[in-house]
Amino acid sequence: MSKFAWVTLTTNDTYSLGALVLAHSLKRAGTAHQLAVLVTPTVSEAMRDRLKDVYNIVQEVNVLDSQDAANLALLSRPELGVTFTKLHCWRLVQFEKCVFLDADTLVLQNCDELFEREELSAAPDVSWPDCFNSGVFVYKPSVETFTQITEFAIKNGSFDGGDQGLLNQYFADWATADIKKHLPFVYNVTAYASYCYLPAFKQFRDKIKILHFAGKLKPWLLQFNSETKQVSVSTDYAHAKDLIQLWWNIFCDKVHQSLSDNMAGLAGALSQLQIGQQRSPEQEAYENLMRRQCWESGQIDYSGADSFDNIWKKISQTLEAKPVEKEAEQTGSS
Amino acid sequence: MMRRQMSYRFEDQDASPYALKMNRRFSRVESGADLKDYFDRGDIASRENRWNFEVAWEVANKVGGIYTVIRSKAYVSTEEMGEQLCMMGPYKENCARTEMEEMEFPRGNPLLDAVNSLRSRGYKIHTGRWLVDGNPQLILFDIGSAAWKLDQFKSEMWEKCHIGIPHLDIETNDAIILGFMIAEFLEEFRNFAVSYSQNNGLSAPRIVAHFHEWQAGVGLIVLRTRQVEIATVFTTHATLLGRYLCAGNTDFYNNLDKFAVDEEAGKRQIYHRYCLERGATHLAHIFTTVSEITGYEAEHLLKRKPDIITPNGLNVKKFSAIHEFQNLHAVAKEKINEFVRGHFYGHMDFDLDKTLYFFIAGRYEFGNKGADIFIESLARLNAMLKHERPDTTVVAFLIFPTKTNNFNVDSLRGHAVIKQLRDTINNVQQAVGKRMFDTCLKGHIPNADDLLEKDDLVKIKRCMFAMQRDSMPPVTTHNVADDWNDPVLSSIRRCHLFNSVHDRVKMVFHPEFLTSTNPLFGIDYEEFVRGCHLGVFPSYYEPWGYTPAECTVMGIPSVTTNLSGFGCFMQEHISDPKSYGIYIVDRRYIGLENSVQQLSSFMMEFSRLNRRQRIIQRNRTERLSDLLDWRTLGIYYRQARVKALQAVYPDYIDETTLYGSRNNLIFSRPHSEPPSPTSSRHTTPAPSVHGSDDEDSVDEETELKELGIK
Repeated sequence: MSKFAWVTLTTNDTYSLGALVLAHSLKRAGTAHQLAVLVTPTVSEAMRDRLKDVYNIVQEVNVLDSQDAANLALLSRPELGVTFTKLHCWRLVQFEKCVFLDADTLVLQNCDELFEREELSAAPDVSWPDCFNSGVFVYKPSVETFTQITEFAIKNGSFDGGDQGLLNQYFADWATADIKKHLPFVYNVTAYASYCYLPAFKQFRDKIKILHFAGKLKPWLLQFNSETKQVSVSTDYAHAKDLIQLWWNIFCDKVHQSLSDNMAGLAGALSQLQIGQQRSPEQEAYENLMRRQCWESGQIDYSGADSFDNIWKKISQTLEAKPVEKEAEQTGSS
Repeated sequence: MMRRQMSYRFEDQDASPYALKMNRRFSRVESGADLKDYFDRGDIASRENRWNFEVAWEVANKVGGIYTVIRSKAYVSTEEMGEQLCMMGPYKENCARTEMEEMEFPRGNPLLDAVNSLRSRGYKIHTGRWLVDGNPQLILFDIGSAAWKLDQFKSEMWEKCHIGIPHLDIETNDAIILGFMIAEFLEEFRNFAVSYSQNNGLSAPRIVAHFHEWQAGVGLIVLRTRQVEIATVFTTHATLLGRYLCAGNTDFYNNLDKFAVDEEAGKRQIYHRYCLERGATHLAHIFTTVSEITGYEAEHLLKRKPDIITPNGLNVKKFSAIHEFQNLHAVAKEKINEFVRGHFYGHMDFDLDKTLYFFIAGRYEFGNKGADIFIESLARLNAMLKHERPDTTVVAFLIFPTKTNNFNVDSLRGHAVIKQLRDTINNVQQAVGKRMFDTCLKGHIPNADDLLEKDDLVKIKRCMFAMQRDSMPPVTTHNVADDWNDPVLSSIRRCHLFNSVHDRVKMVFHPEFLTSTNPLFGIDYEEFVRGCHLGVFPSYYEPWGYTPAECTVMGIPSVTTNLSGFGCFMQEHISDPKSYGIYIVDRRYIGLENSVQQLSSFMMEFSRLNRRQRIIQRNRTERLSDLLDWRTLGIYYRQARVKALQAVYPDYIDETTLYGSRNNLIFSRPHSEPPSPTSSRHTTPAPSVHGSDDEDSVDEETELKELGIK
């Protein structure tokens, strides 16, 4: 067995969809190494079983485990709790070297060469290239490092409140010390950012190895038509449509059939879908849920399904539900 | 003497002795359909078992302009509907604590039952009276107390309308909670009112709820989608999208019919709010806007024409002496004179008696408020005055609150210097008086040369030295924070209006609200307006326009535009607005350059008037205040409610319909009848003897002749 592993983290069933697709994308790219996933207690049993199907290791991490000295100290800084979860990846000491991938990444090509890099190698963040993006990084598991980072965290906090700020503070010399620790951008291409420099995105898109759906845009939060298996993408992300579609293709081929209705959140809703078949009430229920989620996260398809004409149709339906009120309605909206 | 007595206004005296005479003399039909005819404190309404609710985010919660509308209307609404009226809004502690007197509704009132029923659901509800004129009944809902149901509310909104609410938009989430609480309240109220009526042998209750603006509109949507049998009225004071589009410097009115509304709202991330607004607009039984121009905007942006225009009124204060406002003008003007003396010290080469005060005021929206064309037109007025009337000076005040680094040292210094001069002169005066007295006491005639001693002259000279200044008087009273990019200052620079000796137009930009504690003016806004000669409000986007309306009721002429609700209203209801001191600039049908020319020619025209003409003009302007009074304008709200009631209860007959044809209101200039709208009122003095030198007594025809309007 390989001494190297790809590591990811999931905190709920919806995010686990990302982790499942990520694992399949790694296998699709033909990786020779092992897969490990860290899960928090909020991930359901059913989902863990499915994760076990594709990941060699499913490791539960518990933020509030009072057995742990580091955790005890952390209780004094509860705001770092979530940040801290990611650091658990350093405790996977059964491996010699690991590459951490966020669950919202998608591997497009084989990247096994990453394991030749040293800790801590990562790609620059698009908004501040002197910081690395903590969505993809190479590291060496070590309990000692883990303790040091947690102590550092408790002492200094994180400048952005998240893990990226913390790791950039801890590995402060990343920007200047060793150029070999700078991964090329193709190992962590943020999907939304490429929009800023569209010609470059078009020129180098075939070279992209790992795509990172950072920010609000998550593939699983976009509108997906289960009948045609097509995802609809707002104009802002049109350039990455085929890559988002790839995520959904992997989902349909490999992940969907393994879902079950005892999973929480979106995963449970998706399990009810019949993909590639006529719309069923379940499909509509799912789409309904999806559309509402899109509205609530501010991604409204105002020029399409959510146009006011459609809203008005819906309102009219509601009004006509009871024929008694019809008359008043006609006078009202005429 | 008799005449003088007649000229006092007694509000309660509108009874019979004058009525007959009035009717004959009325040239204005509208006054027959005055809301005052319905002032019975809810007597008829309670007999008809009719209930009214008025819902707005700004009920007892001062945020912006809607607060003023509802607050000023409260008096006439309670006069009309008494205890049958209830206003509802969110409970905002800081405002409600000072504006609300908490008390419970009396027992046996369905209002109390409904409130208790909602309280049993865990909602916190405050009831009582609003401490404003009229003391309307008030129900305020504590939004926090129903926050736990937010998700349920949002699900219902989604299930019924397919409108979702982004998590991050806290204001809309609050509006959702309030809307659902109010809808649940009204639903409960209706149930209680129905059983109450049955138990007491009354006819079935008729309920009408009036919602203002999109925040309250949520309640309307819920009521309608839950199919509660309540008549609804929805009023927008400005559309959401219109505000955004105008702020973005678009050529708004020329493209109004071309905007892809869904997309524009979506791009600006107000799509959900826009959907709520548009949904409420279409769901309401009766939809109203505050002005014709907003109606036009709503027709294209919300896709529904208003059924009725409900203009905003004012709670007009009546003075017992008829021309009191002229006296107030003189008093306030003297205070502004005082400021001008200080601000322009060392440059006071102009005659304050031949100086006119123009002003513009409002929120600091440079383009929307028309400050751009105001400054441009002032530059042209300056050129015209130099050429035609070099002895007249115009001081233009721009009152736009913005960020500043406190007062300008120079402008403070000016006031100190003037004060010093005044004190010195006063001392000298006293000394001279004493010397004269002593001399006379000794039996001598005082000699002019002996009165003023050398020492006095030295003191005066010292003051005069202090008054010298090398620089020109500043164009602004404060140090504006971003001086170089400030739009007003940049325009002033571009137009070279630097208050030089030769300029006939002097600029004073006052970037702060006026309060009586202000060390420069020491007067509040109202007094300032009274002291000015002309308000200039050439707005591009102004759904209603309270500023010119306020000027009008204080008897101050104003310039407005046909893009402001006020301007449209005046244009529609007065056949010759100019003769009443309402100058309306066309910003809709002619080019920008022409509008600028028109504005400058209006200002020039005004500058040509002599004092007597201005006094007559102010008299005429003040007469319009009845037109802007809620007592008159409230009738439209009434009409809207009646129409809504008739939509829901087709059998409802309102007695207004019996006098159907009366509400065609036009202020005309009739030929034979005494033409002025209010000259025919009982409040007007009896016709005077011709040739009298009393300005009050100048009659209409003579007035027009004197104003040079044929």
